[in-house]
Amino acid sequence: MTKIFLNDIAHGRSGDKGDTSNVCVYARKPEYYKIIEREVTPEALHAHFGDMVKGEIIRYDVPSLGGFNFVMKHALGGGATMSLRLDSLGKSMGSAVMRMKINVTDEELAEINNV
Amino acid sequence: MKGEYVMKKIAIGGGQGFWGDSPDAALHMLRHADIQYMACDYLAELTMSIMAKQQLKDPGKGYAPDFVTRILKEGGKEAWEKGIRILTNAGGMNITGCVEAIRQWADSAGMKGYKVGYVTGDSIKEKIPQLLKEGWTFPNFDYDGDFNEIVDKIYNCNAYIGHESIKECLKQGADVVITGRAADSALFLAPFAHEFGWAEDDWDNLARGIMAGHLLECGGQGAGGNYMYDWRGVPRMDELGFPIAEITEDTFEITKAPDCGGVICEQSCKEQFLYEVLDPANYMTPDVNVDISQATITQVGPDRVRIGNVRGKQRPDKLKLCVGYHKGWKTVSMLSFAWPDAYEKAQYCADVIMKKMAKRGMKADDIHISYIGVNSLHLNVADMSEESLKNLNECVLRIAVFSEDKSECAKIIPEISPMQLNGPPGASFFGGRAHVQEVMALWPTYVPRDALDIQAHILEV
Repeated sequence: MTKIFLNDIAHGRSGDKGDTSNVCVYARKPEYYKIIEREVTPEALHAHFGDMVKGEIIRYDVPSLGGFNFVMKHALGGGATMSLRLDSLGKSMGSAVMRMKINVTDEELAEINNV
Repeated sequence: MKGEYVMKKIAIGGGQGFWGDSPDAALHMLRHADIQYMACDYLAELTMSIMAKQQLKDPGKGYAPDFVTRILKEGGKEAWEKGIRILTNAGGMNITGCVEAIRQWADSAGMKGYKVGYVTGDSIKEKIPQLLKEGWTFPNFDYDGDFNEIVDKIYNCNAYIGHESIKECLKQGADVVITGRAADSALFLAPFAHEFGWAEDDWDNLARGIMAGHLLECGGQGAGGNYMYDWRGVPRMDELGFPIAEITEDTFEITKAPDCGGVICEQSCKEQFLYEVLDPANYMTPDVNVDISQATITQVGPDRVRIGNVRGKQRPDKLKLCVGYHKGWKTVSMLSFAWPDAYEKAQYCADVIMKKMAKRGMKADDIHISYIGVNSLHLNVADMSEESLKNLNECVLRIAVFSEDKSECAKIIPEISPMQLNGPPGASFFGGRAHVQEVMALWPTYVPRDALDIQAHILEV
């Protein structure tokens, strides 16, 4: 097992609805989908963010697009209008998700490094 | 044509992604793309409240004047001559003000016969007392709370309306259609529904039109802007094109204008596809409940993708209502520090300022301290290792204070610049003294459809 950044195998985008942050995460190659499915669970993501995300995290799987949609509630310090954060719209929440460390097996790592 | 059947194809361009967007791609599209319609989205969640506030100060304001000054004045006449019809929610809180500005422009440009369609009825602030009396409680679907407590502080109250009245304006021959808080994607659905004669319960087709709008309503984000997959590889970002949707009875494709920058590929479309969607199987809009949980995106040519398997279900029976209200006040103060020990100095300075504020008796309802260059964006997940901090070139201390009491917020303002002489070494104050800014909040709720009186109008120049 090796730890890598989710960023090494995924891409996506963050948006906001009030205090809810919405981050879609796609596998950079179809074979990485199963790694994301296994590693980036709502629980793991909550552990990654700690109290920065105060509400529930829901993951919606969209295999036909090779991706996932993460909906994180009470995640933007009150949302666009009220947040005191520099990034009140959570534009950088996408890269904050990509910063998560995930476990990959030696075979998976070899596959990733083979690119 | 030797009896060959040519399938009807309608192309719509996305001209603006928000109020303040660049007009370059919209104008390029009007001049060079083979489109029949262009739609421009100006309204984000808070925009209506900002416009409502502007209108309170000056009754002539409250809409997005850029639509007239930057889009129509530059490209509106050419669009009219080519038969490209334009749709926008630039009317904001002052639809008739926007229409009048357009009339004046069209009149001075000698565009006799130009038809301005507009849709009224999304703003229902004055109906609130009656709806409350009738027992409607306006529950907040994000937080607990009693609507009665904010009712005196409301700036605006707008329902997200669907495509029907916009379609009606097109049916009556409008060359341009102005709305207030129409759902962004409804602006794009309306022309397709109008051209193809889609019924108001043709859920699958309505869903296709909505997703076309969804992929276009953020402008450049649909064509390689804000593109995580390969931002370095986006050609000519300085001339970024905005996306164009082409729909036939059978197909749904996304492309862009010829001879512009940007990229349309599977990954660029995917990043926008689920953007702000929440549940992909139930993407709620006023017109249809969209299901994209089985959707496909396939590259079918250079800068051209095909979208498949978009499904629709019955529309919701209530409309989303966006209520903007006064919440309180905030100040944001900043000071910069340089190597060595930039982060440590900034932290130390924050402590000094907070001790002073405690002595001043500042009563803040919330304080947020962060360090630009270190953790102001990624907060908890930023790399705070000693290694990443020890050789930091520079760091900006940022202190944000929120209070319901304006005077409490203001107390910190004069305490920042003295830190240049009285604090840790090298503190540099920039950008002038902070100002107290109003904090507006949103109360997301629903309203029954029949509480609205949506009307389509036409004004001929």
